[in-house]
Amino acid sequence: MIRFADIVKSFGPKSVLKGVSFDVRRGEVFFIIGASGVGKSVLIKHLVGLMAPDTGDVWIDGEEISRFDEARMFPVRMKCAMVFQHSTLFDSMTCVENVALPLRKHRGLSLGDSLAEAAKRLDAVQMGAFADSYPSSLGDGMKKRVAIARALTLDPKYVLFDEPTTSLDPVSARRVDDLIRRLSGETGVTSIVVSHDLVSIFGIADRIVMLYRGHVRLLGTPAEFKACDDGVVQQFIHGRAEGPMEL
Amino acid sequence: MVSATTASPATGARPRAPVHVRLAGFVGGASLDLFFGARDLYSVFARTLYYVVRGKRERGATLRQMHEIGNKSLLFVTVTMGCIGMILVYQAGLQTKRVIPDFSLLGATYLELLVRDLAASLGSLMLATRVGAGIAAEIGSMVVTEQVDALRMCAADPIDYLLVPRFVASMIMTAVLIVWGGTVAFVAGGLTAYVSFGVPIATFASIGLLDWGDLITGLIKCVAYGAAIPIVSGHAGLSTFGGSEGVGWATTRAVVNSSLAVIILNLVISSATFVAFPK
Repeated sequence: MIRFADIVKSFGPKSVLKGVSFDVRRGEVFFIIGASGVGKSVLIKHLVGLMAPDTGDVWIDGEEISRFDEARMFPVRMKCAMVFQHSTLFDSMTCVENVALPLRKHRGLSLGDSLAEAAKRLDAVQMGAFADSYPSSLGDGMKKRVAIARALTLDPKYVLFDEPTTSLDPVSARRVDDLIRRLSGETGVTSIVVSHDLVSIFGIADRIVMLYRGHVRLLGTPAEFKACDDGVVQQFIHGRAEGPMEL
Repeated sequence: MVSATTASPATGARPRAPVHVRLAGFVGGASLDLFFGARDLYSVFARTLYYVVRGKRERGATLRQMHEIGNKSLLFVTVTMGCIGMILVYQAGLQTKRVIPDFSLLGATYLELLVRDLAASLGSLMLATRVGAGIAAEIGSMVVTEQVDALRMCAADPIDYLLVPRFVASMIMTAVLIVWGGTVAFVAGGLTAYVSFGVPIATFASIGLLDWGDLITGLIKCVAYGAAIPIVSGHAGLSTFGGSEGVGWATTRAVVNSSLAVIILNLVISSATFVAFPK
């Protein structure tokens, strides 16, 4: 289980998270939503040590990890993978080399073994034909699938998706949604998804947390979000320009 | 009259501190920035040395960087060092002609100067611009596009993965390029001396003034500059923030700080070796 406990994070004078607390249950598809700049991506980066909270604790499987150094973070990153917003494939490597890198670095596999395993992982996301292509020659949707293959290559318990459907066409976006849903249903992977995509949110989320002005505004199921009479929540989930929500 | 330290009742603005307080604040802030910058730079250097010994390098990564740093700088170094060599010898020849019209020591003095100082310093300043900018831009772009974060997620330390191959390659190729650049500068200077002042090549190519102290000094400078350029530039790249503007700033900072590092190291090493190997 994952627990954020009273997370506070500032960047210089700008206070982004002002005491955020919630739990994520095992095997669920958990969405973090909120306006741009509210600190959604910042929050999930705390889970894998890419950022550290000013105060507060981050718990994964009963272990408080927010004060871990880089070396102690490696096992955490093995079980908690991340798909970045812009895929962030390494430009200088082919797709298969990108997917093989965590296998070599985390598991210490040889180059040949890691490439063979990576090729299988690419096949699983229908990208086997592009194994030897460089990321620059791929479209956004294809890059995203390679990035997902790279994240899943270590069979993580938790996968963090940072706006996985942003910049994708609707068909590619729904395929990514299906993949996230299948991960949870078939392998029990817990997915934490940062997203603005209302179709995704209400299509595949088990639970949702909405961040607003540095705090948790609402935590609940999609049905509870729809039934909530909070004007800020309603404005956000209906995508209205007018309303009480402050930017 | 409203004092500089009083608030304006009309605007309600905060009172401005006296000039000496603001000056102290500025100096204090700059000193702290310098201290933290130096501490971070030292940390990058120490971790680079650690991973040179303990790291697991990617196959071919250092060779690729040697090609990037060395082979791709060859023409640039050749042209600049050749031109500088010609200019230096021509100017030195003009001065010699005015004072003591005897060119017999022109080549020997020039060679001593090249080996002890100029080849390494000028060559490294050239490399600081080309190599330093390249390293900072590449690493800085990876930082702003989260590729460095993705590397960390793959259990690859950015220092080990990105900086160490560049560090090792730079140490080797800076020495190679400086020896090559020095040779080009000497040959170009010799031809200039022959054409402009009629100094025979055999007279110019004298190693009479060269000693072990000069060679050791030149070698120390090659190693020091070869290490400083990737460390300073890599640090600039890794501390990039913001978008493309941040990459631009990082690149500028890398070139300025690498050049500064070469000049400061030159002063330190020259002072130490003049004491160690007195003339």
